[in-house]
Order: sequence, then C-alpha cells, then structure tokens
Amino acid sequence: MISRAWLIPILPLAASLVILFFGREREDSPLPFVGIAAIGASLWIALRILFDVALGTLALPYENDWSWFSFAADLKGHPFILDMRAGVLVDGAAAAMLAVVCLVSLLVQVYSLGYMRGDAKFKRYFAYMSFFTASMLGLVVSNNLLVTFGCWELVGVSSYLLIGFWFEREAPAYAAKKAFITTKLGDLGFFLALLLTFLYAGSFNIVRVKDVVEMGYMPPFVVTLIGLGLLSGAAGKSAQAPLFIWLPDAMEGPTPVSALIHAATMVAAGIYLVARCYFVFAASPLAMETVAWAGLVTAFLAATMALVPYDIKRVLAFSTVSQLGFMMCALGVGGYTAGLFHLTTHAFFKALLFLCAGSVIHAVHTNDMRSMGGLSKRMPLTFLTMVVGAAAISGIPPLAGFYSKDLILEKVFEHSPAMFGVLALTACLTAFYTFRMLFLTFWGDGRNNERVSRAEESQAVMTIPLLILAALSLVSGWALEHAWAASPGAAGPGAFASLVGPGVAAAEHGATGAARHVNPTVLAASVTAGACCFIALAYSLYCGPDLGAAERLKARFLPVFKLLENRWGFDAFFLALVDIADRVADLAKWVDTEVIDKVFVDGWGVLTRIAAEISHLFDALFVDQAVDGCGYLSRDWVGAGLRGLIARGQVQEYLLYLAVGVSLFAIMK
Amino acid sequence: MTLSHYVALGSILFIIGVFGALTRRSVIGILMSVELMFNAANINLAAFNRYLHPTGVTGQAFALFIMTVAAAEVVVGLALVLAIYRRRDKIYMEDINLMRG
Amino acid sequence: MIEVAVFCSMAAVALVSAVLVVTLRNTVHCALFLGLSLAGVAGVFGTLAADFLFVSQILIYVGGIAVLMIFAVMLMGRTSDLTLRQVNQEWLAGLLVCAITAAGLLRQAKGFLGKAADAPARALAAQAATKPLGRLMLGDFAVPFELISLVLMAALLGAIFFTRKEDEPKSTENGKPGRGGGT
Repeated sequence: MISRAWLIPILPLAASLVILFFGREREDSPLPFVGIAAIGASLWIALRILFDVALGTLALPYENDWSWFSFAADLKGHPFILDMRAGVLVDGAAAAMLAVVCLVSLLVQVYSLGYMRGDAKFKRYFAYMSFFTASMLGLVVSNNLLVTFGCWELVGVSSYLLIGFWFEREAPAYAAKKAFITTKLGDLGFFLALLLTFLYAGSFNIVRVKDVVEMGYMPPFVVTLIGLGLLSGAAGKSAQAPLFIWLPDAMEGPTPVSALIHAATMVAAGIYLVARCYFVFAASPLAMETVAWAGLVTAFLAATMALVPYDIKRVLAFSTVSQLGFMMCALGVGGYTAGLFHLTTHAFFKALLFLCAGSVIHAVHTNDMRSMGGLSKRMPLTFLTMVVGAAAISGIPPLAGFYSKDLILEKVFEHSPAMFGVLALTACLTAFYTFRMLFLTFWGDGRNNERVSRAEESQAVMTIPLLILAALSLVSGWALEHAWAASPGAAGPGAFASLVGPGVAAAEHGATGAARHVNPTVLAASVTAGACCFIALAYSLYCGPDLGAAERLKARFLPVFKLLENRWGFDAFFLALVDIADRVADLAKWVDTEVIDKVFVDGWGVLTRIAAEISHLFDALFVDQAVDGCGYLSRDWVGAGLRGLIARGQVQEYLLYLAVGVSLFAIMK
Repeated sequence: MTLSHYVALGSILFIIGVFGALTRRSVIGILMSVELMFNAANINLAAFNRYLHPTGVTGQAFALFIMTVAAAEVVVGLALVLAIYRRRDKIYMEDINLMRG
Repeated sequence: MIEVAVFCSMAAVALVSAVLVVTLRNTVHCALFLGLSLAGVAGVFGTLAADFLFVSQILIYVGGIAVLMIFAVMLMGRTSDLTLRQVNQEWLAGLLVCAITAAGLLRQAKGFLGKAADAPARALAAQAATKPLGRLMLGDFAVPFELISLVLMAALLGAIFFTRKEDEPKSTENGKPGRGGGT
C-alpha cells in the first residue's frame, strides 16, 4: 500500500478538477460525493500505511521519486546535467499527518453537505475543498522542497479562495486579501531559505539536504539563515507572532472552512514544515531558540487576546493561534514528538470545536455569543460534543489535550522553568477562555430568547462528524500514547514517539542539553489544577444569565481590555507600516512627477528639441541643397543631354549602338 | 568551292539580316530579318562541319538545334507581336518606346 | 563544275531574296521573298551534302515559319501600310555600320583562302547524314534533345498564354486569334 502513497494527493486533485469542470451548479448536485469518495480513498491508503507500520510489516521512512526535469548546469567550469527529481517521502510524521488531514477533511466535507446546503456555489465549494486537500497532502508527502513550496503556495491560493468564498460581501474579500498578502510576507523568507538551500546543498531533496546539513558541509550561519527563513514561512502560514493578524479575519469564510483550514490542516503546515526540516534547526541552536521564543510569545499573546471577544469564531481563532504557539514552542525546545503529538490531537479537538461552533451558528444565525445562551437544551448533541472538545483543549485528563499538552510542558520545563511558567499560565488561560465561550453559549438561559427558542439541533449529516471527532478527542491522546506500546518497533514508552521518533531522536537529545528531571505527574497535576481553577473562575463570571460581573470587571480594567481588543496593537502596527509605505510612495511619486519628470525628462526634451532645430536648419540649408544640386545637375544637365541624344526608347537605335560595337570587333585584326 | 565561299555567303546573309533588323519599322519585318541571321549561322555551321570535320555530323546537329530554337522564337515572337497589336493597335517600333528615359 | 553552278545560283537566290526582304515596302512580298531566300539556303545545304538539314529547312522554315509570317502579316497588315515608309530614319547609319561590318567579316573570310582546311573535301564521298544524326540525337545529345523539347513546350504554352483572350467576350469579332504554335 505504501507504493500507492503518491495517489494520496492525486486523487483529491483529480476530484477537484472533475467537480470544477463537469456538471452544472445545482443545489442537489451529486458531484460533492466525488470529492468525498476521493478523500475517502486517500484516507483508506493513509490508514493502511499506518496499519502496516503498526504491524511492523513496513519500515519508514519510505522514499520513491521520479525524474521531473533536467537541465544543464555549470559548477566552477564543470558542466553537468542536473536531474531534478520529485516524489514522495513518507516518514512517521508524514504518515500521521496524512491520516489526520484525510480524516479531518473527510469529516469536514461530510459536515459541509449539511452546512452548505442551499448555497449558490455549492459545487464550487467542494471543488475548492478538494483542491485545498490535494495541495495540503502534496505538501505533506513531497520529498522535494521545491514541490513542497509549490504546494505551499497552492495551499495559500486555495485558502484565499475559501476565505473569500462569499466574496460578494466586503469583509470576506478583504480578509482573503489580508490572509494572502500576510502569508506571502512569510513565504518570502521560505523562498530565500530555498535559494540558500539549493546554493549550498545543490539539491532540493529533503534527504540529501539533511545529509549535507548533518555532515556539516554547510556553514553554520547559512544553516541559521535557512532556519530563520523556514521559520518566517512557517510563521506566516501557521499564524505565529507577528504574522498572526490574518487568522482572526479569516473567520469570515464558511465555518467548515475555518475548521479544516484554520484549525486542522493549513495552519499546521508551518508546524509540519519546521518538523520536516527539523535537521536544520537541530544544527542551529540560534534558529531553535528563535522558534521556541516565537512559539511562546505567540501562545501567550493569542491566549490573552482570546479572553475578550464575543464572536465565537474569533475566540476559536485566537485559541488556534495560541495552540500553534504551543506546538512551535515545543519544537523549539526540542520536543519534536511533543509538537507533532499536539498537532495531531489539536487537529481533532479544534476541528470539533469549530464544527460545533458552525452547528451553533447554523442554528442561531449569529456569531455573537451575547445573543446565545441556554442552548444546551435546544442542541444536546452539539452541547455534549462541544464540552468534550473544550475539556480536551483545556487539558482535562484523560482527554486528548491532556496528554499532548502535558508532554509539551514537560519538555519546556526541562528546557527553561521561566518559559514553563509562561506556558503554564497560558494553558490555564486556555481553559478560561474556552469555558467562557462554552458558558456563554450553552448556559445562562434567556439572554436572547427569540433567537435561542428558534434554534434546533442540526441534521444528522452534521452531527455524525461531530460525534466521530468527539470520540477521537476522547481517546486519541490515550491511544496514541499507549496503543503502540506493545507493537513491534516501539522503542519507548510513548507510542507516538515510536512512530515519529526514530529519525529525530538524536536531535531531541542534542537540543535538550542538560535536562532537568522532574516528576511528570507533579507537573501534570499542578497544571490541571490551575486549569480547573480558571474554569471555576469562568463559571463564576459568565455562567449567569446576565453578564454584570464580567462587565464590572471589564470596567475596572478597561485599558487592559482595550489593549486586548486591539490585539496588542499588532493590526495597528501593520496598518502603520502600510501607512508609512503609502507616505513613502507619495513622496516618491512627488519626486518622480515634480523633479524627475519636470527637470530631467521634460528638460532633456527641450534640449533635444533645440538641438534638433539646429540640426534641421543645417540639414535644410546645406545637406539638402547639396543633394538637390547634385540631382539637378545630373537630371537636368547631363541626363537631359544624354536622353535627348541616345535614350529615346527606340529599340532599333540601341541595336544600332550594339552593331557599331560589333563592327569594331569585325574590323579589328 | 572552298570554305571561304560559304563563310562569305553566311557573312553577307547575316549582314543583310542585321541591316533589316536595324532599319525595318514593322515588328514582323524585324522578325523576318532575325530569321535571315539564323540561316546565315546555320550555313556557317554546316560548312564548317563539311570542311573541317567531314566524318562527323555534330555541326549539323547544332544547326538542327538552332532551327528548333528559331521555331520556338518565332512562335513566341509572333505571339508577343499579336498581343501588343491587340492591346495597343501598333506594330511599328518607334511607337513602342516604353524604355524612353 | 555543276556544283559551282548550283552553289552560285542558290547563293544568288538567297542573297537577292534576302535583300528584297529587307527593302521591299509591301510586307506580303517581303514574307514571300523570305520563303524564297530560305529555300535558297536549303539549296546551299544541299551543296554541303547535308541532306537532313536540307529537308528540315524546307519543312520547318519554308513550310512552317515563312507561312506563319504570311499569316501574321495578313492578321496585322493594313492597306495603309503600303503607302508608308517601311524603313526608319536611321537607315543610312545602319547601312554604314553594316557595310563596315561586312567588310570586316569578308576580310576574315578571305583569311581561309589557301589554308589546308580550305581544300575541297572531295576525298570523302558524301554520305547520308540522317542515320548518324539520329544516333547522335538519341545518344550523346540525348539530354539537350530532351531539353529542347521542353523549350518547345514552353514556347507553345507561352504563345497560348500571350495570345489568350483576357476579358473581352466578343472574341468572334476578331476572327480566329493568332494560334501561332502550328509548327
């Protein structure tokens, strides 16, 4: 089955083309099932790969590639043919990622059948969805960094299309542009990293680049530069500080899109890229440290920003940013396994939370949590699943988030207690804002009876994915931690580590350095207790039908709230940057029109015209007259004389001249 | 009879042809004069063949070729004359002076 | 002796007719004398033992080209032509040039007198030239022979092309157009 790994991205791509180009846009178009079938087949292949690994019949990593194109190159005077190859590289992380992406995509597409029913662009939505999934899967499996970059950009494009899916309205169109341009800013760094990689390694093949880096053929500062470039790309795509500003706005897209793209897959691409190129960071302590700090800052800032908004999707968006910060931080402190573990579990429970939010929005037709409340009776299934999701993200044992977040915190503590402190506070804040959202939405009866009383439980096609995801959120942490422990090939206590670990074990140990050993149980218990305290705080503040306590708190700390609502000024900062650029452009335009155009261009034109006039005078007076004179002489003097004499158009006269000539020959002796 | 007689005869016939070509006003007259010149050349060829290379017939073969070319020439020439006559209604050479400078 | 008589008479016929061809005013007469002159040349060929040339001359020139000329004259001739001068203004200059050239040429011809090549080729009996000519044409000269047939074909096509009626539908008024390729 592993030999069919290349089919995984190809199937959704074919499906997207089929959906896009065949059939007619109808409300009950059957074409979405093509996309669902394709992603189902991909999921089947991905699960079979995982299964084979678990049985021990398959050894990862698996690599297979084909010749893509070749060109003649020249290296220090030695010409040679460079064969560019592209193909698949499936290691443990990729196998896990493939399964996660396929699964979440499948569930989200099934969910979308209900959520998007009746939309005017029903068919196109599924085409974009399949296209996005194909790009993402291609990014995951590619063994060629250039192809990865191409898929990376395709992910950006399809994200642009999906965020701006309702482009008739102004906000989604603006959000799509913002997302695209902001991520491009980060991609610039990625591209520079690619150039440097090819310059120093002479190849885009990940395995070969890895060899080059690990053998130490690359100067250290170049490795650091490449690492920072990759981090820049990852920061754009995974919404790390300071480039996270696009993600809250991207919530303007349809909610299933938010679930798929901005929770489970696309934003995970940056994390995955860092993990895929982990050898670069392992070779550069500076880049590693930068990753850790970027993740930490992002996690904390985003968690604080998630405390204040009343838009349910905004809360989830900031929460996503915060969790991505967790992963990044984990990678940065050497917790490769922890980061990927959290990436996997987070994909499940964040997709679950988004889909639950979508279900709620579908029912009450608003995003504002102040208009909700008391929905637990109207929508029991949604309520229950969302409680599972919230508990999972808050790290309540034994749900998925507990295991992965615990692992991250452990790694961070080993690295630096200070960072651990910040991150633990962030984890508690996570619990607070998640349950704030939950309480605002489902408790506190009767804030807006009109909307709530009309709300109904969503249809089965939407709730079944919710149930599946809830089940995964419940058990995936425990399963991934333990299920493989007994299987062949498991090398340590963490089963997930045994899947993704072998390739990077050395890097992990190297980066961890002097490990501080601490009892994991103590850490886990303390953080969980903190989270429970914050949940209780949230309960006291937001559970009641009126929000008086919360409002009073807000009034007391108004400047802080304002700061958080303004997102720590990041948006203003970037807008100011744009404003400065505008001013510079205005100045440049003024210089261009008033100085360069008027003085140089126009002045030069005047000079040229004067010179041309002089030249024209000379031309007309001397040159032309000389030419005319010659013509006059030859035509009216010499020519006229000769014409009158011999050239009268009489053929026989010409013949006579000829005969005269011949006669000269005849009389010569 | 000697070769000189034949050469002299050819020369005189040729000169008569040249004279005609130089002085006749009508195009047909010129064509006739050209035919006379062809014949003078043929006489020369046949005579040289007979006197200088009596065992071969190459000269006569050349004369035959010339006859053929002459026939082709007169055919095309007369066709041209006819076309000019039909289009411009003129067959006198001084009227056909497109080459006047 | 009879050979001399034949040569002299034939040469006289050819030369006198040729002079008449270039001097007569009536073009029809010119064409008729052209035929006579060509027949004289045919006689000269006879004295040179060129029997095939003799017959060809009669067939092609006298029978073909001269008759063609007469046709052309009849097609284009007008009665007014008879009153017009048929010789142009430069005839005197032409005559002068021709006389000089003739003098030069005759002086060259006289150079052959007394040379070995000038001896009468009586030693070799005249033999029929038709058979060797045929061998030559289909042997050594096969390529020129074929080329000349191409030339003839081109001439025929060219003649048809030039004399073709272009756009006037009243072609019957002019009678038969000059289909001159009848050799």
